[in-house]
Amino acid sequence: MEWMTSLFPGVGTFFAVDGTVAAARIFLICFGFVLSYMGFQRKLEPLIMVPMGIGMICVNAGVLFLENGAVGTLILNPLVSGTDELMGILQINCLQPIYNFTFSNGLIACLVFMGIGARSEISFLLARPWTSITIALFAELGTFVTLAVGVVFFGLPAGEAAAIATIGGADGPMVLFSSLIMAPELFVPISIIAYLYLSLTYGGYPYLIRLLVPKKYRGIDVEIYPPEVPQKTKFVFCVAICLILCLLLPMAAPLIMSFFIGIAVKEAEIGPYQELLEETVTYLSTFFLGLTLGTLCEASTILNPIVIKILVLGILALTISGVGGLLGGWLFYLRDKGGFNPVIGISGVSCVPTTAKLAQHAAEEENPFAMILPLAMGANISGVITSAIAAGVFVTTISMIG
Amino acid sequence: MMPIIYSLFAYALTAAISYIVVGIIVLIDRTMSKQAAAGKEK
Repeated sequence: MEWMTSLFPGVGTFFAVDGTVAAARIFLICFGFVLSYMGFQRKLEPLIMVPMGIGMICVNAGVLFLENGAVGTLILNPLVSGTDELMGILQINCLQPIYNFTFSNGLIACLVFMGIGARSEISFLLARPWTSITIALFAELGTFVTLAVGVVFFGLPAGEAAAIATIGGADGPMVLFSSLIMAPELFVPISIIAYLYLSLTYGGYPYLIRLLVPKKYRGIDVEIYPPEVPQKTKFVFCVAICLILCLLLPMAAPLIMSFFIGIAVKEAEIGPYQELLEETVTYLSTFFLGLTLGTLCEASTILNPIVIKILVLGILALTISGVGGLLGGWLFYLRDKGGFNPVIGISGVSCVPTTAKLAQHAAEEENPFAMILPLAMGANISGVITSAIAAGVFVTTISMIG
Repeated sequence: MMPIIYSLFAYALTAAISYIVVGIIVLIDRTMSKQAAAGKEK
């Protein structure tokens, strides 16, 4: 038996650890396969799920015996601290440099946000700006309700509850960034669960729409003519808003800067930078984000009892956000006396452009001629802005909770 | 501050900042549109 564990340490380490840990490793290997396959089938977001699933399989299968009888991998060790130890392990573990130099300092979240900014068209926001921002605020309901629930009913410290609550904003980079600042010891499970749930919104939100918006209202067409906004105007208010938000919320300055620099590059029509941010930076950072998240899914991650609380609070946050957004949609339906499609409310949840596409798809199912995408995109972009502001407010003021 | 009161406060602050941001966007858009229209008239 000993020769077998020495020859095949990936198998042998199953017998060298606690039974619970071994079972968790087997579960994560199977779960990694499920995630990557569902990404392959396009049932979940493939850009994240394929690398995440493969990373999850490899980090739980490729375990070997290290020094002093410890077990570990040559992929990544997130618990390394101390300069000497870190310098040593940076030269051994293949993803350690990615983790320490881009993940644990929030750089990867900022790079993804630059790509989102470069792909955002803010003139949609100008079609009906006050409506869009109000819907986006309704869609942030889940974030604030979950914070209170997390502290009062789950007994979580304020920073942890706030970091988990940002899942309700449905903005992956924001969740990463917020949890790095407010709950650094939990940012791994929070980020993994957040990205998993965000991939599931595409599957779950249509049912929420069907539940809260009867058929005859889903196909309402809304006549809207997105204004022709000169690029100079868009560039000026991108710079102005970036300045104001950085002044008001300096703790969120890295993300604010990243989002608006993407928009600024787009509006300034700097072709090479635009292509760089839209393609290379977006896909490279998304790829390594998914892969790193997957390789962080070791058995010890899911055996942490707090994972159950994050799973419950995360789904609560996203559900209430979806309900809140649709309530906002109904509010404008009533205000406009039937001239507004309540389904647009779901696009206030800032999963760009997933929720806007969901809203358009739900409307088209009932009325093939319904075109609500411009308004839905306006609400979507507003959702990104409000979730950035909400994260900034949390990070700046969370210490006020007694 | 109690958690529920803080949530309400944070929500209100988020709303206030969001409306200020949109107000500035609308103001810049109107100002620059007027300048462009005035420029065309000349």
